[in-house]
Amino acid sequence: MRWLRQAVGALGALSPTCKRATRLQSEAMDRRLSFSEKLGLRLHLFLCKWCRRYGRQLKFLRSAVRGCEEHESREAPQGLSPEARERIKQKLQSSRE
Amino acid sequence: MELYGDFLFKCAMMRLRDPAHAEDAVQETFLAALKGGQAFAGRSAEKSWLVGILKNKICDHYRRASRETPFTDLEFYADEERGRFVAEGAFQGAWIHELGPQEWPNPGASLDNEEFWQAYRDCSGKLPKNVAAVFNLREVDGLDGKGICRMLNISENNLWVMLHRARMALRRCLETNWFGKGGEAP
Repeated sequence: MRWLRQAVGALGALSPTCKRATRLQSEAMDRRLSFSEKLGLRLHLFLCKWCRRYGRQLKFLRSAVRGCEEHESREAPQGLSPEARERIKQKLQSSRE
Repeated sequence: MELYGDFLFKCAMMRLRDPAHAEDAVQETFLAALKGGQAFAGRSAEKSWLVGILKNKICDHYRRASRETPFTDLEFYADEERGRFVAEGAFQGAWIHELGPQEWPNPGASLDNEEFWQAYRDCSGKLPKNVAAVFNLREVDGLDGKGICRMLNISENNLWVMLHRARMALRRCLETNWFGKGGEAP
């Protein structure tokens, strides 16, 4: 079993730290990672369940909020105040004339 | 206006967080819609057409704001949860297991829960204005990074840092205030 421990140790040495992996996982959502970044991240995720969770949760966050104005209930609760409504109405009226 | 005023205002409030600015954006949206209104035929798509105009107006607002003061914010969350990573030794930079990301049970079920969205709005409200703005442009509107950088006159690297910290902070906040409590209202 010593060889196994050594192999895992060697892989671990090539893999980025968790802190670095959180940054890479975020950037992977915004840009193409370089080959070595991708390789290191893959290796890290293979070894680390915390960072796998982290990545899943970032993707959940993205899919949850994407296009969220389609769902009215997700927006801020308070609408236009009566005064603001009146101001906009008047402005629209005067632009029509 | 009667039909969509509230809805557009809510959208604008989520982005701009300031009732006066949101009101302006809604007003400009209706003015632009009036001008271009004749060309618009399909009523079913009216709402998304108005939302499209509103988004442009909000982008104009950010553009103006970024000309007055730099949009980059590298202060927020600069420690990037440092206290949750091992500080030194062979495992430096690894999650301290009890403080690392916890399992979120069935997160998809939260999407239909109004209280989840209340928690989300609270968390999003804790982000600084500019950080929330880039997060919304990127994740809610799905704009690409280069476009956001041009609009706000910030570097790509700074955009990535801001997005990384926004995601990290939101994830942490939702875990603490929602998922960590079993997905129940706090």
